[in-house]
Amino acid sequence: MAYRVLLVERNRLMLEQLAQAVRQAGDNFQLVARYQAPSDALGQGVLFKPNLILLDIDNKEGIKQIAEFNRGYPGATILCLSENWQAAGVSQLVQAGAKGYLVKPFTPEELQAAVKTFAKSGMEVSSQVMTFFSPKGKSGKTSLIANLAMTLGRRTKEQVGVIDADLQFGDMAVFFNLTPQATIVEAAHDVSFLSPVTLNSYFVPVSDYVHVLCGTAEPNLIDNVGIGDFENIIRMARSLYRYILIDVPPGFNPTSIAASELSDTVYVVTMLNGGYELQHTRRALEIFKDWKDYDERVRTVFTRVSPCDMREKQKLEQELGEPVETIVPNAYQVVSEAADNGSMAMDLEPDSELAKSINRLAEHIIGRHRIRWDKP
Amino acid sequence: MAEIEQKGAIVTFFSTASSVGKTLVSTNLAAELARNGYRVCLLDLDLQFGDVCNYLQLMPESTMADAQQAFAVEGSDAHVEEYLTPYEHDGVVFYVMANPSLLEEAYNIKADAVKRVVQQLQTMFNYVVIDTTSMFSVLNLSMLDISTVVVFLGIVDFIPTIKNMKSGIDTLKKLNYDRNKLRIVLNRSNAKTRIPMDEVKGILGEDFYHILPNDFKAANASIKSGVPLVLSHGSDGLGLALRELVYRSTNQHYEEEYPDHSEEKSGGGLFHRLFGKE
Repeated sequence: MAYRVLLVERNRLMLEQLAQAVRQAGDNFQLVARYQAPSDALGQGVLFKPNLILLDIDNKEGIKQIAEFNRGYPGATILCLSENWQAAGVSQLVQAGAKGYLVKPFTPEELQAAVKTFAKSGMEVSSQVMTFFSPKGKSGKTSLIANLAMTLGRRTKEQVGVIDADLQFGDMAVFFNLTPQATIVEAAHDVSFLSPVTLNSYFVPVSDYVHVLCGTAEPNLIDNVGIGDFENIIRMARSLYRYILIDVPPGFNPTSIAASELSDTVYVVTMLNGGYELQHTRRALEIFKDWKDYDERVRTVFTRVSPCDMREKQKLEQELGEPVETIVPNAYQVVSEAADNGSMAMDLEPDSELAKSINRLAEHIIGRHRIRWDKP
Repeated sequence: MAEIEQKGAIVTFFSTASSVGKTLVSTNLAAELARNGYRVCLLDLDLQFGDVCNYLQLMPESTMADAQQAFAVEGSDAHVEEYLTPYEHDGVVFYVMANPSLLEEAYNIKADAVKRVVQQLQTMFNYVVIDTTSMFSVLNLSMLDISTVVVFLGIVDFIPTIKNMKSGIDTLKKLNYDRNKLRIVLNRSNAKTRIPMDEVKGILGEDFYHILPNDFKAANASIKSGVPLVLSHGSDGLGLALRELVYRSTNQHYEEEYPDHSEEKSGGGLFHRLFGKE
């Protein structure tokens, strides 16, 4: 698509710099007009039929201006320009009619990326963040997350982000067979300079819908991710993806707690190994009960359940004294075979018990957001 | 007659993958050393979700949290042995420093406090055995530093775990410990796996110090009964292999009919005196 760009930036020098970036962004970008004053842009810009408006919003009237440009240029895509990205204001911007966000000054590449990211679907405002918590290691959650992300993407055709914050080993990268250029360490390092568009480039696309922010390849980098930065990554990712799935280190630690606090749903995932797993799960749930909205927010999942049927689920619920959201069957052979080949188990056997149980979980997640009134 | 104070050895079980059998092997090591008359203390440093007391069916009255508190209040006058829980089976006794009973207590245990606890225990015991979590945490790193021997435990099930194991070993190497301090032990060697052993060694670039066979049934039965395998099935299968590991790693020569030393060794006597047992 060819973009006819209308640029609005109050600062004369910045306007010049940004205009330069637009010109260098490639053949499909044409700078048709630029103005310092929004009033000029509103009254005169129409003559040049822009379809992409880059609008400086670093002023008190910013939100109002978005709405006015939206009325004045129906059908054009509005991307906001600001010096700092702020998670708090995103929903207001989107409500006013903005599709996306760019931190200025931007580079030609960032403009291209922004258009690619936002032009179609716009910024996400109703994203759902899910943290997958396990008391001890070996819960089967990495494979659960990977498969669930693929299912959510395939079924909803919406954007799904996976954040591997199990900071010691990039297990997610191994699962998806990725050798990432950038990981969560670099993203955390750069996050204060980033906006959703630039953060997107730290995620590795694994399908049309699923993007993975990989963990560190080496465990000794664990200290390089500050909790504040990690939290900002999650907040920023909310404007990029409809569903965000976060893998955290086992047990209660600053990382798993921060991710849980920022999540709409926490899945407590435990693998049944014939030991004392149920006891550990119960103790972990006790901690989450401090939340007032515990009942809606915390879900329990057991993996490697055999036999994986209703009766077994009820038995687990009885023993645990809590409802169980989903049980996942023992699919060791399928999962390990797939993982050895760097692929997803679901791609191998779509009719397997594993695929079915992940589909069920995906349905719960999709359904929770979409209330449909089926016509009789 | 005054003697030079001797410090016991610290044997730490570590891994980078979870559920590889650290607790099972460490409880057995503690039990086997105790069976041979050594004074042994086992610390559960999986502070939040430790299984040592589950595996040994202990109901500890005090834990690491109390030991930390004692140090905070009494300083170096604190007696760490007051917070241990004895395990006893057929006359074999060793002591356990249990993980805190409350998660909030566990969350607030500081690595420095644990280090002080371990160093005090070292003056009382021949062996301080440490069970850890599968993480390069501040606590685990400080334990690895002060350990005499680090037993790195791994299992081979599929490629991600082998890569994970390799990355763990590579990281350990970066800590620049003496090469013979680190011992790589493969657990559950003949478990269902599609990866040949040569390939595993190829990926790891390492040989194994010891290999333990897979006996999920025996291991599970011992967990359920609360009795370490070396005390119930020490002369066959996994129990025997565990014994062999203990003899190798403590420089004892393994004899087919290993005599019961619990009465002969002076260690046992002192051990009992120390804690007022007969």
